[in-house]
Amino acid sequence: MCGIAGIVRADAGRPVTEAALRRMARALRHRGPDGFGLALGNGAGLVCTRLAIVDRPRGWQPMRSDTGGTVIVYNGEVYNHPELRAELSQGGFEFHTAGDTEVVLRLLERDGLHALRRFNGQFALAWWQPAARRLVLVRDRFGVRPLHYAVLRDGTLIFGSEAKALFASGEVFAEPDLAGIDEVFTLWAARPPRTAFRGVRQLPPGSLLMWEGGEVVAERRWWRADYQARYDVDRELEPLLRDSVAMRLRADVPVGSYLSGGLDSSLLTALACDASDHQLHSFSVAFEDPRYDERLWQERAAAELGTVHCVVEVTARDIAGAFPEVIRHAETPVVRTAPAPLWLLARVTREHGIPAVVTGEGADELFWGYELFKEVVLRKLGERDPARARALLDQLYPYLAPSATRRGPAWQRFFLNAGQQADPLFSHQTRAAATAAVKAFYLPDVANELAQVDPLDRLRAELPEAFSRWSALERAAYLEIETLLSPYILAAQGDRVTMAHGVEGRYPLLDDRVFAHSAAMVAEQKLDGLRDKVALRELASRVLPPPFAARPKQAYQAPEVTPFFEDSRPPWVKERLSPAALARTGIFDARLVAGLVRRCQAGRANAREGMALVGILSTQLWHELFCDASGAQAPLETAEPQMRLILEPSPRGAQA
Amino acid sequence: MSLPRSEQVVCEELREFITQNFLYMRPELELRDDDPLLELGVVDSIGFMELVEEVQTRYGIAVEDVEISEENFGSVSALVRYVDRKLNR
Repeated sequence: MCGIAGIVRADAGRPVTEAALRRMARALRHRGPDGFGLALGNGAGLVCTRLAIVDRPRGWQPMRSDTGGTVIVYNGEVYNHPELRAELSQGGFEFHTAGDTEVVLRLLERDGLHALRRFNGQFALAWWQPAARRLVLVRDRFGVRPLHYAVLRDGTLIFGSEAKALFASGEVFAEPDLAGIDEVFTLWAARPPRTAFRGVRQLPPGSLLMWEGGEVVAERRWWRADYQARYDVDRELEPLLRDSVAMRLRADVPVGSYLSGGLDSSLLTALACDASDHQLHSFSVAFEDPRYDERLWQERAAAELGTVHCVVEVTARDIAGAFPEVIRHAETPVVRTAPAPLWLLARVTREHGIPAVVTGEGADELFWGYELFKEVVLRKLGERDPARARALLDQLYPYLAPSATRRGPAWQRFFLNAGQQADPLFSHQTRAAATAAVKAFYLPDVANELAQVDPLDRLRAELPEAFSRWSALERAAYLEIETLLSPYILAAQGDRVTMAHGVEGRYPLLDDRVFAHSAAMVAEQKLDGLRDKVALRELASRVLPPPFAARPKQAYQAPEVTPFFEDSRPPWVKERLSPAALARTGIFDARLVAGLVRRCQAGRANAREGMALVGILSTQLWHELFCDASGAQAPLETAEPQMRLILEPSPRGAQA
Repeated sequence: MSLPRSEQVVCEELREFITQNFLYMRPELELRDDDPLLELGVVDSIGFMELVEEVQTRYGIAVEDVEISEENFGSVSALVRYVDRKLNR
């Protein structure tokens, strides 16, 4: 696992400086604490910071093929590399390293971009073809690994795993993109290729971009979630998931697991225990606040499965303390504090000497576990039988009020009248409406500017042609993958907070074979009435004690308001929410924010106001961290590179 | 035991509550007593619950589930009528 970055210029005679590459490497050191390498020359520069997991003594990057002369910087894991290596070896290829990078490079040289579909894993890569002066950027199917880029006016392309590498180049400047921020306050994250920064794009999941001599000549999806034939396949899930887990334990370092105590993580930890040749280390977040805490389930699962378990107890004070660093790594405003406990968890995981963990993201999207899917069913029912739908919604959310019927007409409006079934975004209207609470705090000018384009209209316009043929639940699943899983859960709650500490998250449920399998299942094997994740529960009932297979989902949440308003709150909270600080950022109305602060101080803030507070506070921090800073002053990486290549126009440049 | 309150006092108290807790986000809105709170977005589903809680605690009223409707909680005047009816029942 690594951080990658680079600069390629339209004019081969215009140099890329080593200082710029060293600044970019320094900005990404947390992703690759074990060392770095660089390649430079002919108007191009590539750099890679490395977290050594496979073939630790060798496997340094940038890596050049000794046959085709092309060069790669690569962040991620292709888990089926031994199988692909065997195939290439049979064809006469000789390998110099034992890792996956060389396999990826050789297969790309042999098969071109057709090779991408052979890769089972999570990766972001840049592939430089010097003779054509062509750079190809690629991102994995679900966007587990990040990849950002900017194209400058002179045709220069600058890329990096994280946007901070682009800013460290000294050629890209951090400015807010109001439309990107507005997407955060609609869908929880900016939707790729948009980011919260003007001019900085992120490659959409399952996409590639081709740059040639100063121009982007192609930008397209090579994979996208799709829902096709439906057949009875649940009995085949177990061997497939076992194989996916076993593949994700392949490493030269110990791989642990995240164990939240829920169905998905308990199931994956059980499968990992079965497949592991050593006693598994498991890690979990527990909360001081019992409303969010699941430690009894976590400890019970760990005891049943025999893992070496570590619980990280998180307090409101811990969340406030970690929050600025979380924003530095996430590089975006957020509407939840939930990434902060996961940042703390990754830190402890690394301190225990575990640089990689299997984790259960994807289960709720593939097997329809979120309550959003049940809402779709009930809201559709509501058009035919409102009373019955109301009663079932009350069953679904019994914890929201002391008496379910007390929600009364507001409940009816929020859920059952939230949007028309004919709207492609029917499933997500309630979330968008709730999240938009943050927008009520915009300055009038900002609100007026953003009123010109609705982020939901943009999303509607960019849906794939097949979308209209899918069922309402398949549409909901697709939107969930596109708008939440990839840009938020796998980023702010995934890659960014784990890689902040050099820990690699591995996702067995996001194996493309598991996705294809789940997509092909009949609906009732995912959601049957209000019984969710049916096929996963059936599998869990065979490998876990009964209570785990039957356990209802507990949404992962963290306290939103108390971290920033209890007695021990850090002083920066008041400062960042002051009229002067709000005026510097220029997005939120200080008078309205003062009202929100009063509500928070009085302990009266409701869930939406909690979301608004986190949105405003994170935007303020984000602006200060990035938009008030200058990349040209970013520190240099001063260590000696472990790998140094000279990039020459000929395919076989000499290694220095 | 709560003291008898005039409709005028109840109206002022509820307006103050709504202003402090909901209208801070809508400073441009001049809320009239008959304006529909839900339709104008002054309160949302969660805010609606807060109104119910406030009426219960401030006036010592036991709000029945069937009474939670826009007819009773949908505007300042509706709230005042409802509170008056319950207090004087």
